[in-house]
Amino acid sequence: MKSSTRREFIAASAGAVALSVAIFRSTQGFFTQMGQVAGVGVERPLDGRLTPPGAREIDPVSHVLNRLTFGPGPGDHARVTSMGVEKFIEQQLEPQKIDDSLCDRATARFSDMWNEPLGEQYDADPEALPPVLRRVTLLRAIYSERQLFEVMCEFWSDHFNIDPGKGDCRWTKPTDDADVIRKHALGNFHELLRASALSPAMLWYLDGRANVKRKPDEKPNENYARELMELHTLGVHGGYTQQDVMEVARCLTGWTVRGRRDDGFAKTLRSPQTDHFAVFFRNEAHDDAAKRVLGTEVPAGLGKGDLDRVVEIVCGHASTARFIARKLCVRFIADEPPTSAVTAVASAFSTSKGDIRTTLCALFATPEFASSPGIKFKRPFHFIVSALRATNASTTADRPLLSYLERMGHMPFRWPTPDGYPATAQHWHSTLLWRWNFALALANNQIGGTSIQRARLQARIGSDVGLMATLLGRQPRAEESDAWLKSGDGLALMIASPAFQRC
Amino acid sequence: MNAQTHISGNGDDKRTLVVVFLRGAADGLTLVAPVGDDNYHRFRPRLAVKREDAVALDGFFALQANLRALEPAWKDGELCIVHGAGGESDTRSHFEAQELMEHGGPASGGWLARFLRAVNPSPNPLSAVALAPTLPDVLSGAPAAAAFESLAEFSLGGLGRGRASKVQANFPRELRRLYEMETDGLRDAARNTFDAIARIEAIDPNARPGNDAKYNERDSFAGGLRQVAQLIKADVGLDAASVDLGGWDSHFTQKTLIEPLMLRLANGLAAFRQDLGARMATTTVVVMTEFGRRVAENSAFGTDHGRGSAMFVLGGGVKGGRVIGPWPGLKPEMLEGPGDLPVWNNYRNVLAPVLTRHGAPSDMTHIFPDYDLKPLPLYL
Repeated sequence: MKSSTRREFIAASAGAVALSVAIFRSTQGFFTQMGQVAGVGVERPLDGRLTPPGAREIDPVSHVLNRLTFGPGPGDHARVTSMGVEKFIEQQLEPQKIDDSLCDRATARFSDMWNEPLGEQYDADPEALPPVLRRVTLLRAIYSERQLFEVMCEFWSDHFNIDPGKGDCRWTKPTDDADVIRKHALGNFHELLRASALSPAMLWYLDGRANVKRKPDEKPNENYARELMELHTLGVHGGYTQQDVMEVARCLTGWTVRGRRDDGFAKTLRSPQTDHFAVFFRNEAHDDAAKRVLGTEVPAGLGKGDLDRVVEIVCGHASTARFIARKLCVRFIADEPPTSAVTAVASAFSTSKGDIRTTLCALFATPEFASSPGIKFKRPFHFIVSALRATNASTTADRPLLSYLERMGHMPFRWPTPDGYPATAQHWHSTLLWRWNFALALANNQIGGTSIQRARLQARIGSDVGLMATLLGRQPRAEESDAWLKSGDGLALMIASPAFQRC
Repeated sequence: MNAQTHISGNGDDKRTLVVVFLRGAADGLTLVAPVGDDNYHRFRPRLAVKREDAVALDGFFALQANLRALEPAWKDGELCIVHGAGGESDTRSHFEAQELMEHGGPASGGWLARFLRAVNPSPNPLSAVALAPTLPDVLSGAPAAAAFESLAEFSLGGLGRGRASKVQANFPRELRRLYEMETDGLRDAARNTFDAIARIEAIDPNARPGNDAKYNERDSFAGGLRQVAQLIKADVGLDAASVDLGGWDSHFTQKTLIEPLMLRLANGLAAFRQDLGARMATTTVVVMTEFGRRVAENSAFGTDHGRGSAMFVLGGGVKGGRVIGPWPGLKPEMLEGPGDLPVWNNYRNVLAPVLTRHGAPSDMTHIFPDYDLKPLPLYL
């Protein structure tokens, strides 16, 4: 922990270079005054009517809560029913207008990390930063009222995956999370892509920092250029060639990042920057001759402007609209989404020039979305968060909770390859045992730092059936009620049940 | 092939790769001592292994006496040693070198994980295990990899570290009943999981190891190997396992530090081999470490960080009884940097033929990216 004197000094002098996370900054002063006690979890308030879902099947309200959030908590169904599904979606698409003080309180003790300029983080304990990021991510997913925003942050974190285990990404992934993913999660895809291209962590992770052409015979590093098209925009069969990869790599030569330890690239480029992790462009390492990317001419002499041309060309490509649309449909509709839905979403993406809100609106309006309730298999992170939300758990998201994600191979920010965690069910079927054991441990309050008030919850909801319906998003089937009674541990059984693995 | 047939099809042809990582940089010049090299004794007047104390291998090399339990495997031609083994980076940082070696270069994710993804993209729940509190980097990104310290954790109600939830008597039956009502892959996944649990439950943790093998009960390393052997014998579909033995960083009073470790290493491996018996034919154990140690001993009866060390390949079909060099001799001008044994054999070139035997595709660029492989002839 850093001294408060230093924190204040940094906060006062940070100014323009400060890592800006408006959400955190706005509440920082308040919680410093509150003197948040370390190690105490928060709980969503159980106020208002907690009428559980009453339909025999998953109704449109439960469906939207299942897909647009990390799972409904007690009372969410009643709340969204009374405001109307359309109004709820509208609200979720404007997260900045949603009060999120509970989430701010849950994460306040970690806000140091967000209030330091990036350059100051180089001397942070490298083993501490990723774990803090993981905890904060989990806490936000559980407690934020801006649920769709958090869901989209998870989506883009996979799409632009960076493993903090590689090189300086340990120090720079938290900034990528704030300034790339969270800043643009519901913004514009073109801007998101451009921010990602110049993210210190991405420049490290996909070797963009080493993509230089200083001599005529020097070969650019193609790693980022290839993933830019294969994973971030057009998709692997999106119609680009090896030549396009080489041309994009040429366009991006010269962008680099000052390393924590100057290991050659930034040094030989005579960094004008002294800030650690500063991103800069060196004209002498840039290939400034003319290029041709996906059939479009990038004229000579644009210098750093090549980047904007590349972003424009790849984002405007029809394959990109289709690729992003399909990924969104896989997340929100089905593992094998119907072509008709993908086409509608791709069209919204193209006509809005990559506006993410517009694209999502179009997706939620498709009949394919409406007719897909209960068929998606929750990934482990979603499963755990939904169980905690459904049981109104209080948690500090400490090691014992995170270890379940580790066991299931779904710890946030630990997927090694740039393709992000797998999105579809097949990859995650082998995690059932750990889900069942998590259910048993949660229901019986055996997870350190995490607790549920079962008696109070049940009293407020009123009945076993009500608690089951809260978990399932519908009335339980006869066999589920039967199993609840016979199992001797109904709550654990319901969390472990097949229906609760889906959304 | 669905997962069910995969589990039950885990018969004689199932091959299991066990990776033993000696963390802390084990001294290859003690493990496999070049007792026939005069310079070795000059560089290490106090620490050199003496020919008369050691287990002779080929007249030039000898195993340190505490590794005597490996002698039968050597004599049976099932133990191959690669000397001057290590990575291409000259970092002498444990952290960096382990990471590079587990990742298979400056790639993200582990080489073992990439191998598993190549050979078995939709594995059963026990395809890869690490007998460790957390998943090691080498398995990072594996399609299904479980880390646990004891097999007991792979049970309904297991919480880790020997703790368990109380599971009501009817709970498993009711849970199973609900999953049996499913009609898609989820039902098969649940059946697979119950099957794996049953296979592990059927393992009697106190059963005597096969062929009167004796594991040291107080040794966690031997305990880890014993559990790997139990999984192999229970046919749970194990493709790969990772077991660590740490503590090799012998800057100071090296003998006191590493002699007990060598005893644990050799006795554990010998018990494992004896326990598995004929099933060693389909099992390979690779022993590796992040780098070796300085050739010259230091003033504190220890050795400092170096470069080349030794790797062991034990088991299935390997043409053993050999120390693969070359060994140009420990002449001062042959040494690297501050006086280190050079790396003649990149660890990838040792792993590649092993992975081939375990079903890796002939093109291994996805497993070891950006590296020009020259696999060593371990099986020829």
